[in-house]
Amino acid sequence: MTGFQRVKKVLLGLLMLAVAIGFMMEPSDEIYMAIVAILALGLAIEGIKDVVFYFMMARHMVGGKMILIQGVIILDFGLFTASLTDVPKIYILLYLIGIHAFSGVVEVLRAMEAKRAVEGPWKLKFSHGLVNFALAIACLIFIRNSNTALLIYSIGLIYSAIINILTAFRKTTFILIE
Amino acid sequence: MQEDFHYYATYCAAYLAGYTHEESLDIAYSAQFVDLCSRTLLAKIKAPLNAATTQLQLELMDARTDQVGLQDITRIWSAFHFLPRDLKAEKPGCCKRYLDKYRLICGPNGELVAKTVEYAKGKPLQSVGIAMHVLADTWAHSNFAGTPSLVINNTNYVFYELFPDGDGYREKQITFVHKASSPDDLDNSIYTNSLYQANENSIMNLGHGRAGHLPDYSFARYKYLPAWGEYSELTKDNPRDYVKAFTQMIYAMKFIRGEYDLFETETYDMQAIEPYRERIRSIIEKRQIIANDDWKAFGEELSGQTIEEHIIDKYFDEYTKSAKNEKDHTFLGRFIRGAIGHKGMVIGEIQKTGNKIAGKAK
Repeated sequence: MTGFQRVKKVLLGLLMLAVAIGFMMEPSDEIYMAIVAILALGLAIEGIKDVVFYFMMARHMVGGKMILIQGVIILDFGLFTASLTDVPKIYILLYLIGIHAFSGVVEVLRAMEAKRAVEGPWKLKFSHGLVNFALAIACLIFIRNSNTALLIYSIGLIYSAIINILTAFRKTTFILIE
Repeated sequence: MQEDFHYYATYCAAYLAGYTHEESLDIAYSAQFVDLCSRTLLAKIKAPLNAATTQLQLELMDARTDQVGLQDITRIWSAFHFLPRDLKAEKPGCCKRYLDKYRLICGPNGELVAKTVEYAKGKPLQSVGIAMHVLADTWAHSNFAGTPSLVINNTNYVFYELFPDGDGYREKQITFVHKASSPDDLDNSIYTNSLYQANENSIMNLGHGRAGHLPDYSFARYKYLPAWGEYSELTKDNPRDYVKAFTQMIYAMKFIRGEYDLFETETYDMQAIEPYRERIRSIIEKRQIIANDDWKAFGEELSGQTIEEHIIDKYFDEYTKSAKNEKDHTFLGRFIRGAIGHKGMVIGEIQKTGNKIAGKAK
C-alpha cells in the first residue's frame, strides 16, 4: 500500500466515525439526507470508474468480468440511493442496514476467495464481514425501536472505521524484484 | 534472478566467453550491482540520481503512481529488469492505454535485447555487466511487465508447480502466503507473493510480485494464467530458460569481445558449455533458495581462481574520494555512465513507438 492509499483509508475511516457520531448525537432528517447524498455520489463515482476501467482495460484480463459486475452493482446501488427522497426515516435506515449487510457478505466472499489463493490476510476480512453482517441482523431485530437500531448501526460504522484505520497501518507484503 | 545468477553465473559465462578472471569479476560485479544501485545508494555516494537501476522497497512504498510517478518507475524497471520483447505488439480490440502496457511485457530475443548487447560493445566492462543483467532478466522475468499493471501482471489461484515424473510432469497447486519475513517453503510449494490490489497502478502490481519469487528460482517449473493471456495456460520452464540465458550471455560477450561481427537473437553458445552441461544442469535444477555456493564452486573450478563475495561498497571510496572531473573514470563512474546511457537508449526506443509510459529520454 502506498502512502497515498494509506491516507485515503484513514480519511475514509474518519469520515465513517464522523457519520456514526453524527447519527448518535443528532439523528435528524437532515443528517439522514446528507448521508444518503454522500453515499449515492460515492457509490455512483466508484461504479462508473469500475465500468470504464472494465471497458478500457479489464475486459482483456483474466477474471476481468468481476470488475464489470462489481461496477454495475455499485452504480446501481448509487442510483437507487439517490432516488431515496421523501422516504420515511425507517426505510432509509432499513436501506442502510441492507447495504451494511451486503457489504458484510461481500467481505466474507472476498475473504473466502483470498483464502483460496493465499493464506494469511483473509482472517481479518472474514471477521470484519461477519461482524458487519451480525450487526445488520441486530439492527433488523430492533428496527421497531428506531433509536436502538440507529445506535447499533452507528456501532457497526465505528467498528468498520476502526478496521479501516487499522488496515491503513498494517504492514503489506512486497516482493523485492531482483 | 538473484545474486547466484547475476554475480556467480555471470562470472562463469564471462570466463567461458574468453575474459580473464579479473575482467570476469568486473563484469559480474556490475551485473549484480544493477540490483543494488538505488537512489538511496546514489545519494549516499553523491552520484547522479538518474543513474538508479533499481528501487528499494522503501522507495517504492513511497513512490507516486500518478503519470509522472509511473514514468519514473517504468523507466527503471523496464530498462533494467523487464526489457520489453516487442514494442509494436498488437492485440485485437485493445485501446492504446491497454496496448501501451501490453507492449512492455518482458521476454527474450526481442529487438531491444539485441540493441542492449550492441550498445555495450566497445564500452567499458561495467556496461557489459549491465547488458548481461538485462539479458538474463529477459529470460527470468518473461511474461511480466516493468510497470505497475493489474491487467498485465496479475495472477490468480490457477498456479501449479510442475515436478518431473516419468515422461511428463506431476502438478501440485502452489499456496501463496503474504509473509515476507518467512522464507519460501520449497518442500511444500508454499511461496510468498504480493497482495492482490484491485487498483490498476498499485505498486503491488509491478513486475512478477504476484508470482512471488518463482521466476527467480532456476529450478522452478510452473504453469499459471497470466492476466493478459486470454485464459490460456502458460508453462514456464526455468531450467530450460536459465540454460538459454547462460549460453546467450556467453554468445553475447563473445560478440562484444569481437569474436562475431553480428549479434543475432535466438543464438546460444551451447558448444561452450558442452563439457560442463551436466554440472550446469545439476546446479540449475537443484531445489534451493539461492545457488551462490554451487555457482561459485563451478566458477572457481573453471578459472582456478578465488571468486570473492560481492561487496556492495567495494568501490565507494574510490568514487567518493576522487576529484569531480575524475569520477567518470572510476569503476562506479563508468557504471553510472553506462547505466544512464542504457536507460536513455531504452526510453528512447519506447518513446519512438509513441508510448509515453516511460516518459522522455533526457
